[in-house]
Order: sequence, then structure tokens, then C-alpha cells
Amino acid sequence: MKIEIKDLHFTYPTGLEALQGISLTINSGEQVAIVGQNGAGKTTLVRHFNGLLKPTSGSVMIGDWDTAKYSVAKLASRVGYVFQNPDEQLFSRDVLTEVEFGPKNLGYSKEKIDELVKQALAWTELTDKTETNPYDLSPTWRKMVALASIIAMDTPIVIFDEPTTGQDFANVSRIAHVIAELKKQGKTVITITHDIDFCAENFERVIALSNGKILLDGKAREVLGQEEILAQTYVDPPQLTRLGKLLNLKETVINQEEFLNVIARNVG
Amino acid sequence: MAFVNIQNLTYKYPLTKTPALQNMNLQIEKGEFISIIGANGSGKSTLCYALAGFVPHFFKGEISGEIEVDGAASSKSTLDEWVVNVGLAFQNPFNQISGAKYTVFEEIAFGLENAGVPREQMKSRVEEAMQLTGISNLADRSPYSLSGGQQQRVALTSILVMQPKLLVLDEPTSQMDPIGTREVFSVIHNLTQSGMTVVMVEHKVEWIAHFATRVIALKDGAVLTEGKPSDVLTSDLLIENGFGVSRYTSVAREAKKQGLWKKDKLPVTLFEAAEGFNTK
Amino acid sequence: MHERLSFYIKRDSLIHRLNPLTKLVLVFAFIGIAFTFPWYWIGLFLFVFVLIPLAFIAKVSREYFFTATRLILPAAGFLFLMQALFQPIGEEIIFQFYFLDATRESLAFAFTIAARIIVMISAFTMLLLTTHPSELMSDLTRRGLPGQFAYVIISTLQILPQMQAKAQTIIAAQRSRGLDTESTFLKRAGSVLPLVGPLVFGSLVEVEERAIAIEARGFTSKKEKTSLHEVPDTVTDKTLRWILIILIILSILLNLWLS
Repeated sequence: MKIEIKDLHFTYPTGLEALQGISLTINSGEQVAIVGQNGAGKTTLVRHFNGLLKPTSGSVMIGDWDTAKYSVAKLASRVGYVFQNPDEQLFSRDVLTEVEFGPKNLGYSKEKIDELVKQALAWTELTDKTETNPYDLSPTWRKMVALASIIAMDTPIVIFDEPTTGQDFANVSRIAHVIAELKKQGKTVITITHDIDFCAENFERVIALSNGKILLDGKAREVLGQEEILAQTYVDPPQLTRLGKLLNLKETVINQEEFLNVIARNVG
Repeated sequence: MAFVNIQNLTYKYPLTKTPALQNMNLQIEKGEFISIIGANGSGKSTLCYALAGFVPHFFKGEISGEIEVDGAASSKSTLDEWVVNVGLAFQNPFNQISGAKYTVFEEIAFGLENAGVPREQMKSRVEEAMQLTGISNLADRSPYSLSGGQQQRVALTSILVMQPKLLVLDEPTSQMDPIGTREVFSVIHNLTQSGMTVVMVEHKVEWIAHFATRVIALKDGAVLTEGKPSDVLTSDLLIENGFGVSRYTSVAREAKKQGLWKKDKLPVTLFEAAEGFNTK
Repeated sequence: MHERLSFYIKRDSLIHRLNPLTKLVLVFAFIGIAFTFPWYWIGLFLFVFVLIPLAFIAKVSREYFFTATRLILPAAGFLFLMQALFQPIGEEIIFQFYFLDATRESLAFAFTIAARIIVMISAFTMLLLTTHPSELMSDLTRRGLPGQFAYVIISTLQILPQMQAKAQTIIAAQRSRGLDTESTFLKRAGSVLPLVGPLVFGSLVEVEERAIAIEARGFTSKKEKTSLHEVPDTVTDKTLRWILIILIILSILLNLWLS
């Protein structure tokens, strides 16, 4: 499902102009990371995708729906949104009930709900924890419950807000796995992240925001190599990109595979 | 005897089945900067709480073994006595703000008021501590109006002003954006210069390599391996046990298999990696 | 975000410089006199001839009138109407409103009550406008109020706006999961748990962490606490407090003698 944003402006009641003319198209099945310093407008932008915020001017189209004309509850059938802090959404007695909550709200059939929930639990490695109270789990596992509860809604678009913040290595790998599975199903994944290495390893397209405007938008390699421009919004290039620069490699590399290929070629 | 001495420490939180710490032994000398790494559930936070006295004095539960800091035993002390010697700061900066104070200056003085420090000393100590952490310009702001990185520096200052003998930091940058992370690490850099004994839990491996004198890897409530950062952070043991390593280490490990990394030792930091890969 | 979380207006005036306890006693003197003096005009008299001049002396007249017109007078007006129409006293009917009627007595009674309320809220407003909450609390703690009590009051005042922000995020998170919070009452009743659950649990986590954080800074230390702020308590303060206390006692005695 296509997302089409035309000249989006948003001003908070406090007078803060958080978005100052964003135009953007995200095609069905794209994996997009949004980066930039705090206050750049990342969260304000993605909250327009599911109608939590409505444009001050301009428009946001989710497929054929103009978000200005649909409620958040309605848009939830097209856009899933995983909030940063799982503790701000978990309320059920057990993991299974929690994960069923979203799909039930969307009015799916019993069989469909069971199937979706089963798959979401498998992807997040929670299958053996369905009867546990989410609050008896560690914060990192609670994060996975929050992820599962949104994935189970089977929306064509899924948004993650800072998925890797505060997570250990094992959980970051699990989250990367979930994103890869969503990609296989042809879903659009949009992630806000400060974790630039995670971004380089899991996303094809990167959008850098600064002061409510798009600073850079393009293929991950093109965007993440622009060290000077990224510095304007306090983003450092990925570790291996920096290493490549320091070694004076001719092309920009962003992940291990690319780096090793270039090094091998140089040696050979 | 070592400055910090943990002997056969086993601890179980109330209402849990498996111990969070299992027969742990650990010695730390004065002035060391210890970095603790480990997965979720490996006992990192519990170790921090144990050093800071909250395990068992605050959380209760079953404990055996002993924790000694500068010759004093935790088991023979009360929490309010113990916290004078061991300072603790943790992940969430927001929850570390007392809520009882209206300015950053007052917030930092809170601990000194509790300790009964005379007013004249209080002011100079607060000013000194703020200088060390570089937040003098925030003195009159409300703690709630600050960014995460600034709040975390206020939390660190609030602990440092108490002049603890040992500072325990439980993932102080895990909730920070890159700017906040840099701000907090600049404070930690100042600490290393001041000779403070520090125990810090941290995931960000390339930072650890810069600061730590020793790295301790925990698994299942016990020490898996420990040693110099350049040894521990590049050891195969970490990979086998599912620890996160720096991208420089993992790319060099892969390169070594292909004969593209000639050195014996794997790199942890950008410069070590650049040096090793530079063929010219 | 919230830079200002109290009513306190930082200015230099005679009233600002008074000791917090003196101001607290002054508040009770206003209340004592307004509630015990049997004359119906006493409240209005205090309001016009004492409280309003005091607002100017304290240099907070603008802020005071703002609160007065937005909060105090509407509240008093509402109370006046209720009392005037619903008090079943008196014979002489002044006006009728359907089956409700206001008598001369009920009007006088309503007027007295409303004026008392105006005096009470105004006096407290004046205290809050001219006294920094942490000074009030540290002065009261110094005089023996338990530290935990003072902490609970101040931290609640500070944390309320944060709780509100958190509640907003929870609502946003659950609406994103298809929870309909905008439609019928019945539907909304079903959505209470998803909204309140995370708020309560989140608060429990926060309370525990905050308890650890303040404990790490010796909150329950048995040592005698000191205070960063010196709260002056002058001879004028002490004298003024005694005068006010005598005034309160006199007004009570006068009330007993007249009735």
C-alpha cells in the first residue's frame, strides 16, 4: 500500500512548527529508516501515517484514504505502530490475550486471528510464553510482546519507533529477524532509529530529517555516505562506512559484505 | 585486601526460582574502571544493586556470601549508611529526578541536605560537581525541562556530589540518542581522569574500549570471562555465547577467515581496524 | 516542556520576604475572621479593603486578578446561586425561578457563604503566588513536619503534568491498536482497562525506580537534614504571627459572645 505525502506542514498548539513542508512517496513493500537528531520531526512525521496527528496543511494518503478523513481506530487496519516503550501499551493478564487485542479490534474472524497470533508469536520467539503475564517478563521480552501485538494486526504498513533502544544484542537480532519476515511478506516497514548500524544493515532506503524538513532521501548507501550533511542532524555514518572512509576506499560501503568485497578487490 | 571484594555471592529475588547471581567472586582495586557486559538476564543490574546495597537491603530476597567495599561489609550495614560510600545511577534519567526540587541546583543539593551537610559547604560542593560534569549553565533550569542527556548528567552529578568511594552506573546511555550518549560519555571521560573507582554496565563496545581498564563478561549470574578490553572484547568466547561485539571486530574476524586480516589480534576500535586493514 | 510547575511568581515585595509560616498563619487569620464574624459584610470588607490592597503590596495584582476572574469569582457566583435558591429558609420572597424561590434570608446567607469562599481561596492564592513551594516545605520540615510528608506533596505537584503526558501516549498507543476511544459511551466503557492498566503499572515501575534513586541519595538517612535555602524568620515575623494568633482568638471569642 502506497503512502503519499504532499507538502505536509504541522504546527503544535504551542506554536512549534515541527514539520515544514514534507513531500514524500513510500511505495508498497519498501523498508525505510528515518534518522535525525531529537526534535528533527521524526515522531511527528510518522504519527501522521496512522492519523494520530492530522496535517495543519498538506495531505497524507494511505492508499486511497486521506488520513484527515479517517479515525485512528479505522487507520489501524492499514498502519500498525509499535511505540518505543512497551509499558505504555501492555495491559493484559497474559501474552496471548495481549497479542489478540489488536486483531480482535479489527474484527477479523476467529480462524484468522488464531493464525495471525500464532505467526506473530513464532516470529518474536514468544510461543513458549503465551500464558505468562507480560509484567513477569523482562523489559526486553516485553518489547517483543509489544512487537507481536502489532504484527498480529496484519497491516500492510508497520511502523517501529526506536525499536533497538535499550535492547541487548540478542533482542536486536530478533527485531531484525521480524523486519526481514515482514519484508518477505511484501509489507512496508518504516522505522525511526538512532542506531545507524542497525539502519545500514536492515534498510534499503534512508530518510534524514532536520528541523522539520527532509535533509536527504535515497538509497541507504547514498544517504549514509554523506558525512558532512548528516552531521547537520547529528547522525554519524555507520562504523564500517567510517572505516572505509579512513582507508580511502573509492566507494561508500555500509555493511560487512560490501566492505569485505571491496577489500578483497583491492588486495587482488 | 581488594578495595571491592565480592565473595561467593549468591542471590535470589523474592518470588523467583533461579538465583540472579550464582556464587560470584570479584575483586576490584581502587581507581579501576570496570566495564560489565552481558545479555539481558545475565545478572548485570543485580550486580549493580548488590554493590550499591539495594540487594538485599531494598529488594529483600535470599542472599549468601559477602560484599565488601573499602573494608566495610554490606551485611553488617544499613542501606542509608551504605549509600554514602557507593553511588548508583541507572538507565532512565527521568525516574532519577527526585521530583522534590524545582531547579537543577536544588536537585543536586538534595543528597547533601539529606546527609546534613552545612549550607556553605553545600553550595561550593554543588558548584564543583556541576563543573566536573559540565552542567553549570543548567543550574537554574527545571530538571523536567531538560533533554535526556542533560537529565542523565544531572542524575550523575547528584550522585557525584555525595563524593562516593565507588560509583556504579547501570547502562547510563542505553536510553540516550547519539547526542545524549556523547554528553554522558564526556562526563565519564572526566571521571576516569579524576581517579574515581567506577563499575559501569554498558552495551556500546567501542566506547568501553576507550575507557575501561578491565572488562567483565557475565553469563547466567556468574563471571564468564574477564580481562583487558582488547582481549575480552575480541575473544571467541563472546561470539560463542551470543554477546554483541563491535562491527570492527566482527568484520576483521570474517576478513581473517578470508586471509584479508593479517594481524594476530582482532581490532575493537575504528583506529585499530584502520591500522590493520591499511595495506599501504 | 514544563518550565514552570508552581503558581509562585518570583518578585521582591514585603509579602515575599515574610517567613512562609507567617503567611500560612495570615491565611488562617483571614479564614478565622471571615468564618467566625457574624456580620454578613465581613467577607466583602476583607476582600475589598484588605486582600486587594495586599495583592498590590505583594506586586502580584495582575496574577491575582487573573485567578480571581477565572476561578474564584465564578466559583463563588455558582455557590451564591445554589445557596440562594436551595436554602429553605426565610419567608419574604425576593424572586422566583420556576419552583425555586430566593428569600431575603437565603440571599443574605448565600452572600455570606460566597464572600467567605472568596476570602479563603484568595488568601491561599496569595500564599501560593508569593511563596516558593520548596521554601514553604523546607521551613515546615525544619519546624517538625515529617520530611516524607513534604516530599509527597511537592513531588505530586511536580509529577502530575508528567503523568498527564504519559496518559496521552497510552491513549495514542491503544488507538493505534484499533481501540475506538471516540465513539459511543458503551464502547468507551470497555476501553478503560487498556488505558488505565499501563498507567497504573507504569507508575508502579516509576515509583520503585524513584524510590531507589532518592534512597541512593540518602533520603532516609537518620542524620539531621540541612537545607540549601535559608528561610529567614525575623522578629517582625514572630511579632506578626503573635498578633495574628491573638486576632484569631479574639474573633472566636467575639463569635461566642455574640451568639
